[in-house]
Amino acid sequence: MLISAKELIKKHVLTPAHIAPLAVLRIAFGSIMLISTIRFLLKGWVYSFYIKPKFHFTFYGFDWVKPFGPTGMYVLFGLMVVSSVMVIAGLLYKVASTAFFLTFTYVELIDKTTYLNHYYFVSVMAFLLILVPAGRYFSVDVWLKPAVEVSNVPAWTINIFKLQLILVYFFAGISKLNHDWLIDTMPLKIWLPGLTNLWLVGPLLGYTWVAYAFSWFGALFDLTIGFLLLKRSTRKPAYVMVIIFHIFTAWFFKIGMFPYIMIAATLIFFSAETHKNMIDYLRRFWFRQKIIHTDVNRNYLLKEAWAKLIYGVLIIHFTIQVLLPLRYLAYPGKLYWTEEGYRFSWRVMLMEKGGTIFFYVKDPATGGQTEIVNSQYLSQFQETQMSTQPDMILQFAHYLAGRYRAKGIKNPVVTAQSYVTLNGSGSRLYIDSTVNLANERESFGHKRWILPFQKN
Amino acid sequence: MRKFIVLTAIAFSALVLIQSCSKSSDNNTGPTTTTTTTTTAANNSFDRKAMLTNMSTNIIVPAYTAFQTAASNLDAAVTAFNTSPDAVKLSALQTAFIVAYKQWQTTGTFELGPAAVINFRVNTNTYPADINQINANVSSGTYNPNLLANLAAKGLPALDFLLFGVGTDNTAILSQYTTDVNAAKRKTYLAALTTEMKTNATTVATAWTSTYPATFIAAAGTDAGSSTALLVNELVYDYEILKNFEVGIPAGTQSMGITYPAKVQAYYSKISVQLATAHLTALQNLYLGKSMQGDGIGLDDYLNKVNAQKAGTSLDATVKAQFAAAMAKLQTLTDPLSDQIKSSPATVSAAYTECQKLTVLLKTDMTSALGILINYGDNDGD
Repeated sequence: MLISAKELIKKHVLTPAHIAPLAVLRIAFGSIMLISTIRFLLKGWVYSFYIKPKFHFTFYGFDWVKPFGPTGMYVLFGLMVVSSVMVIAGLLYKVASTAFFLTFTYVELIDKTTYLNHYYFVSVMAFLLILVPAGRYFSVDVWLKPAVEVSNVPAWTINIFKLQLILVYFFAGISKLNHDWLIDTMPLKIWLPGLTNLWLVGPLLGYTWVAYAFSWFGALFDLTIGFLLLKRSTRKPAYVMVIIFHIFTAWFFKIGMFPYIMIAATLIFFSAETHKNMIDYLRRFWFRQKIIHTDVNRNYLLKEAWAKLIYGVLIIHFTIQVLLPLRYLAYPGKLYWTEEGYRFSWRVMLMEKGGTIFFYVKDPATGGQTEIVNSQYLSQFQETQMSTQPDMILQFAHYLAGRYRAKGIKNPVVTAQSYVTLNGSGSRLYIDSTVNLANERESFGHKRWILPFQKN
Repeated sequence: MRKFIVLTAIAFSALVLIQSCSKSSDNNTGPTTTTTTTTTAANNSFDRKAMLTNMSTNIIVPAYTAFQTAASNLDAAVTAFNTSPDAVKLSALQTAFIVAYKQWQTTGTFELGPAAVINFRVNTNTYPADINQINANVSSGTYNPNLLANLAAKGLPALDFLLFGVGTDNTAILSQYTTDVNAAKRKTYLAALTTEMKTNATTVATAWTSTYPATFIAAAGTDAGSSTALLVNELVYDYEILKNFEVGIPAGTQSMGITYPAKVQAYYSKISVQLATAHLTALQNLYLGKSMQGDGIGLDDYLNKVNAQKAGTSLDATVKAQFAAAMAKLQTLTDPLSDQIKSSPATVSAAYTECQKLTVLLKTDMTSALGILINYGDNDGD
């Protein structure tokens, strides 16, 4: 047993493997990020998400993350563009990958309004990419300084990405194993009939059996695809499934770059040979190289201290990756309703949730009360997100308390009447409308003022 | 090894499946209602094109055409009045104004496409009117319709002031157009405002009586930018205007309870409640798809098609009941509303509270049941 464990570690961690998959991943991921960042800029989202709003919903513990103002934000996105180009090219790779991770993650931390699972996934992938020598092959770094080229890397540098992807898909699958998704076929039962005008498949989407088929297939796909990609014999059909599945979701739903990110990232499961062929193809047809490249037979050597540090970081990282999606078990109540432990757990497209919230600020000295016009302080996007997420409701309540204190009202009482509907439940009161939210503190603990979800 | 992984995966999934099933049944301990059994063969697809066609042909186009007529008549009444101002022509002009204002209540909702391009709603009905700005424009003799500061100095609210508010009675008002030092300039300003409104009304009506309905009906999805999404968003937004601006704000809901009677719609002509009830009826008709041609396909039919529920009953029934409840409360109000706000603010606040309930149903229940985003901007989801 001990020996097999040792062998297992050796096989998946230390065995030398060809570096080509890392170079392809670097180029594929970098390209998608370049497109994604430029798309973000062209849509004007830098302005509408990070410059225009007066108030931002920061993550708990990250209050110090603030937008930089117009010039600063565009410089930050400029850096993101430059660093993703440098990642693609493999120019100053360590610096470029670190810069991309930092700029991207900083932007994501500014406002949880824009939180998306795939932005979190990008941050995770960018972080892992810093730890591996993806710039040591088929890169500008190598072209400038051939001595840095290596052909073999320890297996862990490639396997961490496979493990990460397996975790993402598998947890996404597990999150679909519940009554709402499988039995009520929610939210697809609401969403699909809205798409009946789509070309060709549209007329089918109104049928309940189609919602069942999509729900069950989606769950099965997420649960198994990681393992099917891992296995050599099923890899090719599995990758075809990846492409079909993600293209369909891209066509049906407004989920931005996510499908393309996954299609690009799952390339990593292919063999070193396949990746070498891809690079050869690039060399011949893109760069018109006539001479067939022969690899230097050189192993990637990592100083022991560095290796130990990286192993430590990876152990901590993957422990967190396994535990974070399960933390919801520590909270009472229905997860979709409270959203306590919802983010960072690969829960994708599970809810049709909507809300309306009215905030009231009362001056305890006079008894006078004001209803807040949310749009006076928040963007439409922020208000929509806030209306169904208790931590954001609390943040906004505190912001309002601060605004009214500044207007000279001592101890303003902030209450909210909030109505939320979840997966077709019909709206019901969401939080205790008598609680003075100005006095409630944010923590990782359960928020007692969230009313329990009663299904009718 | 691979077998081991696969087996672990299957075992783990089975475990989670069992757990989550038991967990969700735990949550179902509340009073259970018999849910309508839906067979897998049920088809929930709704003919949105038919709904959009009904709304375009029978509701929106007639509304714009009627407003165009009303705006033209109003402009003609101003021309007649300006040529030889007298009490009879003033009275006729005031009547034309009231007709136009009432028609606007059934017209202002559709701020999409042609109306959105020219910002029809704010250009026609931004209130309370800015009296200082109006007087400054009159006495300077210059008026730039594109100036942001002039939004509250034009359209129906400015006319409301110019036709009903410049004197205590019609004799006094008439003198402002005959003997006052600024009489000539005031007439010019009056004409500029009605001409502008007529031009805007013609622009939008022309688009809707020519090519735009085809564009409108063709965008039959539910995505952001589809006609259904835009229309539902505007229905919700315009209802917010009714609730907040026509009732809530003057009653002090946004000002620590301090009332602002002069902020009511049509403060000078004193038809605020008439306008509010006309407005609510128009929004209800849009919801129902109801017009002179009868009760056509509307959002009520859409909600019923997808079997939308609310607390065990049909969402459509709940929405209809709330429209009725809101209307009943609005009908307890009396013109002049500004006086009632002073004498009996609680009655007005009660009407506001009842109206608020319909906001939740339209904005949250209806849009979520139809899978329509309340979002005017644009962003990705996951």
